[in-house]
Amino acid sequence: MDIIIIVILVVILFSLGSALIGMLRGGAKGSDKMFKSLRTRISLSVFLFVFLMFASFMGWIEPNNVLPTQ
Amino acid sequence: MSNQDYYVPHGTYWPIIGSIGISTLFVGFANLLHDVSWGGPVMGLGGTIVVFMLFGWLGTVVNESVGGIYNKQVDRSFRWGMSWFIFSEVMFFAAFFGALFYARVLSVPWLGGAGNNLFTPELWEGFKAAWPLVSTPGAIGQNGTEFSVGFELVDAWGLPALNTALLLSSGVTITYAHHALRNGHRNALIAWMVATIALGVLFLGFQITEYGHAYHEGLRLTSGVYGSTFYLLTGFHGFHVTVGAIMLTVILYRIQKGHFSSENHFAFEGVAWYWHFVDVVWLGLFIFVYWL
Repeated sequence: MDIIIIVILVVILFSLGSALIGMLRGGAKGSDKMFKSLRTRISLSVFLFVFLMFASFMGWIEPNNVLPTQ
Repeated sequence: MSNQDYYVPHGTYWPIIGSIGISTLFVGFANLLHDVSWGGPVMGLGGTIVVFMLFGWLGTVVNESVGGIYNKQVDRSFRWGMSWFIFSEVMFFAAFFGALFYARVLSVPWLGGAGNNLFTPELWEGFKAAWPLVSTPGAIGQNGTEFSVGFELVDAWGLPALNTALLLSSGVTITYAHHALRNGHRNALIAWMVATIALGVLFLGFQITEYGHAYHEGLRLTSGVYGSTFYLLTGFHGFHVTVGAIMLTVILYRIQKGHFSSENHFAFEGVAWYWHFVDVVWLGLFIFVYWL
């Protein structure tokens, strides 16, 4: 489960980086790339948050609110 | 300036004012930390000079930009400037996330004997090689009354989740604002910008509540490595949200002044990217501090 969350987070970082490259290029093309990448990044972030809440609700993952018994 | 030659800026006194302001700020701050009586006032004076410089310098740049004296070369230099600023920001947060990772994944297990075969069960009384490191020598709340790590705080449906929802919503609203700007829908743009700023301010309000709660539970900056990394990461993040909200407010003001067109709005793009970045940092924080 952790791997899925981290993979989505990496894709979000990738979209953010792609938006940065679009902004750096500028012009109509760069501006377009930037907007689309940012739209991808927010969509994925909202999905990840909802997924996290759902996974917690289903008991697939637990928050760090319990003392490890180690 | 209509040609595309290299742009040489005119002489200006703002850099020296900025230097004086920042120097005064830090001399004041250093003396404040040493409990020198004039430390606070001098720091305040330095901060005032810095704010004055920011208004003056950035105001000059805005006026020159609106006045149409910038060419494509200047536009490129702005974009590169923003990119290097972002690079430094990424490195800044990478250092603190790195500290969290190092403490949690490497150093605490090492203290527990992992990897080096050195078993240290009684490193200090109550020591447990587990994250969060609840008992630390000399930390506030030790001496029999171990501080708790605020277990109520990290409830999945509590304030952190609410704050994540708020910040992600602000990410959605700024994306709609961006869309509206690109399509020339001025009223929608202003409405989405106001919503974004309001959500950011609401986030900060709840974050202050969260700090009050955590502090009350005994989690302080001095509560060992968990308290230090928690406050450094969330504190600097909160500072960035504050700066972002101020920048968004300036952009809103400039939108109302009619400074941007659907094709030419680099200032908006820079601030929008920054806001998305701060949003992603929080998402990372939320996941690594509260969940994984």
